[in-house]
Amino acid sequence: MAVKFTNDVTLSKSGFLFDHASGQTYTLNPTGQFIFRLLEQGEESERVLPQIVAEFNVSESTARKDLDDFLRQLHELGITE
Amino acid sequence: MEKKPYMKPTIVRHTPGGVLNKFGRPPQTVPMRRIEGFDVSELAGEYGSPLFVLSVRELKRKYRELDRTFRTRYPDFQLAYSYKTNYLKSVCSILHQEGAWAEVVSGFEYDIAADLGVPGGRIIFNGPYKTRGELKRAFENGSIVNIDNYDEMQVIEDLAEEFGRTLDVGLRINMDLNDPPWHKFGFNYESGQAFEAVRRATSGGKLNVVGLHMHTGTYVDDLTIYSRGAQGMIDFYRLIRDNFGVRLKYWDLGGGFASMNTLHWAYLPAEQTTPTVDQYADAICSVLLAADLGGEEPPKLFIEPGRAIVDDPFYLITSVAAQKRLPNGRRAVVLDTGMNMISSVQWYRYQFQSAQDSGTTVEDTTVYGALCMNIDVINHSLSLPPVRRGELLVIPRVGAYNLSQSWQFIYLRPAVIAIDDGRVHVIKRAETREYVQQFEQVPEDYSLPREPADGAAS
Repeated sequence: MAVKFTNDVTLSKSGFLFDHASGQTYTLNPTGQFIFRLLEQGEESERVLPQIVAEFNVSESTARKDLDDFLRQLHELGITE
Repeated sequence: MEKKPYMKPTIVRHTPGGVLNKFGRPPQTVPMRRIEGFDVSELAGEYGSPLFVLSVRELKRKYRELDRTFRTRYPDFQLAYSYKTNYLKSVCSILHQEGAWAEVVSGFEYDIAADLGVPGGRIIFNGPYKTRGELKRAFENGSIVNIDNYDEMQVIEDLAEEFGRTLDVGLRINMDLNDPPWHKFGFNYESGQAFEAVRRATSGGKLNVVGLHMHTGTYVDDLTIYSRGAQGMIDFYRLIRDNFGVRLKYWDLGGGFASMNTLHWAYLPAEQTTPTVDQYADAICSVLLAADLGGEEPPKLFIEPGRAIVDDPFYLITSVAAQKRLPNGRRAVVLDTGMNMISSVQWYRYQFQSAQDSGTTVEDTTVYGALCMNIDVINHSLSLPPVRRGELLVIPRVGAYNLSQSWQFIYLRPAVIAIDDGRVHVIKRAETREYVQQFEQVPEDYSLPREPADGAAS
């Protein structure tokens, strides 16, 4: 299922995220940016995991746990619905 | 194609005081991979985690800086190391090799110094509770004894009678220097108690007052407390010299110098508030040396620092046991050590560093200790990069009070190693359960059967 964003947000090349509605700003690290861009392109969250494992030197179990945590964070911060 | 190095994905909301810091303190993203050239992960691998690490070079540097700074300002100076801040035998012994005398506050500490081979004449015995036996031993060994109260004075007068000679003593005095004032130790100056104490001591004919001692506080970063204390000591000396003919051999300004750790309630970091050693020395020595003693040579000056010497040279290597999200979205990390190992978390806002490269994205984090107690929080607000279970953190400046005040609770206490010129020495082995329980015994009446009794399982 594709993740739905709450507000209009823009991610810069350096990982700086701006929420146009709230004015709130964030910083994402490179792995966070990689995931965020996939979600932004409408990628389904279930399909993000294999792409992380293909891109980065990480086991699937670690990546799954971290991805869950990251998606939960996006939701708790009010960035995704 | 080679895969990119992985870091746990993070997103950090920008908040004032978090990523942006008006004081410019760098976020804790620079990893501390090595201590004195030794790889942190290799040390933890060999000696376990958590692990206390002493840099002997740093310990000697701190001592020499203090000693040299005071010695070059005051003609007759001696540093006595405050045992209570850290009485690991190796620490004390290294400092004695460097020239420190011992400042002890109990019979237990006195025995440590004596067993290390410190001559009795180089031990200063303070503290509010000294037993008759401990006092007797101290006088027999020629140690310096500073009297805390009238009950103690009475015991020492009895000892003088037993020895058949007068005994040289120092008196502990306190002044209204702090807010709230430190009135616990010795006799108060402003109220006249100290004057009466000297009258009482000198009138009995059994004691010879040769020293004054004052301990102005702990973590004192207000230099005027030392300069006002020194001036008060001069004024008091003139008073008792004129009234009772006292001739001092020494005055002792105690310890209490601050370290580079920041207190919880401090607005500015310690780097900006802790005076330098030169400033402490100037505050004390410039006042004492300006005293008009009518041509008399200034008495010997003792100071008794502890924290200012041993806090900085110790590190605690600890590992991440778990991380979790709190209901408010805040990140929390659980360590494999607790406030029973670093009790100074009650006072200090400890700064940690990761021992591995975890990226530059930091997040405000609550750091919990390992104890199964809600109060065990190591840091309520620490900017930490992403870390995962098993990764190592280094807490610097943990040498003062933590080891001597640590308590065994739930977990065994870790080993302490010393790094010295490329070598590693284990100066205290990790505790074992057998060690902790060695004095316990279960009476037979309370013993459980080793084998289940017939039918017990049915």
